[in-house]
Amino acid sequence: MFRTAILRSARQAARAAPRCQTPIARPVARSPLFQSKQITPTAYFQAVRCYSAHAGLGKDEVLGRIMDLLKNFDKVQDTSKLTADSHFSNDLGLDSLDTVEVVMAIEEEFSIEIPDKEADAIHSVKHAVDYILAQPDAH
Amino acid sequence: MALAAYRNLLRSARIAFEGDLNMLIAARHEARRNFEGNRGLINGSEEISKQITHAEEVAKFLRENVVQGQALDKGAEKYKLRIHEHTERGDNEDIKKGKGNTLAGAGAGTKCCSG
Repeated sequence: MFRTAILRSARQAARAAPRCQTPIARPVARSPLFQSKQITPTAYFQAVRCYSAHAGLGKDEVLGRIMDLLKNFDKVQDTSKLTADSHFSNDLGLDSLDTVEVVMAIEEEFSIEIPDKEADAIHSVKHAVDYILAQPDAH
Repeated sequence: MALAAYRNLLRSARIAFEGDLNMLIAARHEARRNFEGNRGLINGSEEISKQITHAEEVAKFLRENVVQGQALDKGAEKYKLRIHEHTERGDNEDIKKGKGNTLAGAGAGTKCCSG
């Protein structure tokens, strides 16, 4: 009796679990008819992450998130200088303490921990993007 | 060196005040203010190493000896403490080894104040 109760509750839980919106594997060659509907924007917000969701981050998404983060960082005075190649201190006018704060914020954004040695080497947006792309567990 | 200390301090604040945004922001401001205050120190001087040691000690204290508690309900004197993996926990070693040198443990065998 106990076993059937467990089975029943498990079945219910399985039914209640959210279904993944995106298919696990997309066909390599898409027919041109459906192309427009299937392309998802790079900054696609997915409220539920399934285990089957692909883990890799696209370069554009990483860059976009880092740029947004810097845009909202109050020490960056001149946001017009903010590009994919900007250097934290030369272009954005950040000092070394600000750079540490930016790297910490990037850690929080991608929920990873960057070791001190690597963190000291990140001085520009490009460095940061490259580092995040090289991390398999960044998300 | 100072940057590593600053990073370490920010990490500790994040661990100690996780989930308490006001306190976390205040701690970050305080850390920043103190580091700004010592900006003029000469690299390699004795004062700067003293200040860096101080920062490392504050970071260690925040990480290991600060826990935040939340009152369970109004008026009740019960708090739920958020003890995390870095919190320093005693193993009660000194209770065991204390016998013999203290007044409490001395009564059995040795005489205390020969009188």
